[in-house]
Amino acid sequence: MVNKMPKHIASGLKYLAAVKLKEQGHNQQKIAEELDIDRSTVSHYLNGRNLSWNSIDVAKTITDLYPKDFLTMVQAIIQDPEKSRKIVIICKKYEYDAFVDDSCIGCGLCVDLCFMKSITLVSLKAQINSIHCCGCQTCENECPTNSIKILEIEDD
Amino acid sequence: MIKNMKESKGNDFDIKRAAEEVRNLSFNNHVCIGCGICESTCPVEAIDLKDMGAISRNKFNTEFSGHDKLNQNIIEDNEDLKLTIDEHKCVLCGMCSGLCPVDALKLTIDDTPIREMDIYPHYNDYARIDDDECIYCQKCQTACPRDAIIIERNLPKRSDLVTGEIDVTEDKCIYCGICAEMCPAEAIEVDRETGKESIVIDKDKCVYCLVCKKSCPTNAIDALCRICSYGEYDINPENAIVLGSSVLDQELCVKCGWCEGVCPTNAAKTKKAFEGTLEIDQDKCQTCGACIDICPCNVLSFVVPTGPGQKLDKILKKEEYCIRCGACAKACPNDAITVKITNIDHTPTNSKTWINALNALKN
Amino acid sequence: MELKVNQDNCLGCGVCVVACPVNAAISPEVAGGNGSKTEEVIMMVENGFIKLFDKDKCKKCGTCQMFCPVDAIWLE
Repeated sequence: MVNKMPKHIASGLKYLAAVKLKEQGHNQQKIAEELDIDRSTVSHYLNGRNLSWNSIDVAKTITDLYPKDFLTMVQAIIQDPEKSRKIVIICKKYEYDAFVDDSCIGCGLCVDLCFMKSITLVSLKAQINSIHCCGCQTCENECPTNSIKILEIEDD
Repeated sequence: MIKNMKESKGNDFDIKRAAEEVRNLSFNNHVCIGCGICESTCPVEAIDLKDMGAISRNKFNTEFSGHDKLNQNIIEDNEDLKLTIDEHKCVLCGMCSGLCPVDALKLTIDDTPIREMDIYPHYNDYARIDDDECIYCQKCQTACPRDAIIIERNLPKRSDLVTGEIDVTEDKCIYCGICAEMCPAEAIEVDRETGKESIVIDKDKCVYCLVCKKSCPTNAIDALCRICSYGEYDINPENAIVLGSSVLDQELCVKCGWCEGVCPTNAAKTKKAFEGTLEIDQDKCQTCGACIDICPCNVLSFVVPTGPGQKLDKILKKEEYCIRCGACAKACPNDAITVKITNIDHTPTNSKTWINALNALKN
Repeated sequence: MELKVNQDNCLGCGVCVVACPVNAAISPEVAGGNGSKTEEVIMMVENGFIKLFDKDKCKKCGTCQMFCPVDAIWLE
């Protein structure tokens, strides 16, 4: 795993997240709270000031990576797990649908492995919250009974 | 990365996974009955049951002393490891723990055993001793094949049950010792050594049966039972009760029902988780006794012929005490035993996999 | 766990051969003490000593060990 990444790439990711939230119709106050940055920074981001366009390019490349690599990179850049989760949810390129087969034994391994904390056990069966799912497929790959399928939802 | 840790304590071990929640699977070797249900239900094939026939045989001295050896030559602390779990394969799903007919495998999630969690199915079996009904006769303690019951009893003093008067006139006594020999309660001591002759009667031991008085050749003993003589019941009935306590070790108990079967009152009550059948193919049986050694419930025994030329079954079964665990069928080298589970009494669950696993026990 | 023999200890009495429930199932005549007609059995006495033919057939019940008077056959 990558351990230290340059700080300015983090601002590139935050820029992308701020723009995305703006597109979703959130105001600056809300965006600042959501990303845990101060309001003036949000304002700068949205008005295209004080930014390194290079780091935004790198950030864009990162969001275009295969979901698992995207997640790993964000973790490495942002460090804080809670903030990483937020960025991943906002910046992910696709939505995912999760299917859990009846063969699930309720061992909870996926719950422990999911970085996005999108899995819970409900009556001894994994239940995946697709809003939080980042498509990294760690659960699908590690499930001892191969009970999980993660599918990308295609845009129409 | 999340990893399982295995920690061994003698033959017991723990497998632990600490992440969002702490899952801990513990194995108690002395509780395990070697039925192999865990091995066959493990979804990731992480469990390996050892050769239980040989392990249960190791509980006995190898010097053969006839078929009574089962009762005679048990080595108390036989500690062969009965099963192992590959901690790299184990996913701590708890299926082995949920389906273990005893409590040998125990999965806890954040220190709560899954047997106490409603979402996990568990067997509706029990064994209990009702202290109000129990007369502390210790019959169940003797019968229990798992040594899971301890009955302690405090007997009343004899002087709380019977009273009387007893006296020796030493002038008449010839210290012959007849009374001491006859006394059923060993209450009389006579020293017959020349020159140091003496007679002592211990009134705490005396039951006032008057045997000494009747047997004394010189009428030196004067005794009477107050109850017979005067009809006086001058003792406190409360002091004449047998008190006690019963302890049932739920961990060792296999709910076989021996205690209930031998209980003279209705104090011991048990319920089994499995209903089913136990069939022994007497033609295939080669009378090696491996099944007898391994049975956790003392259900099986050799047949002792009562006369010559009898055609008898080779292995006898007391089916009422069988818990259908299948350990005997697994130990039999000739596949002469078939154990079938037809019904399992368990709490409901929504998980199809768990229902399937429970149904798979019914073969 | 595996079936082992020590020919140095063995008296060649054949108790294990007769007692073994698997032997008796493969070749019923050994149970009568008449010796096996086949080499399919797990063990037999040859030239006065125990010899293992096929220990993979052993079901690890431990009966042989229980009967052997001199600890010449055991599971380990």
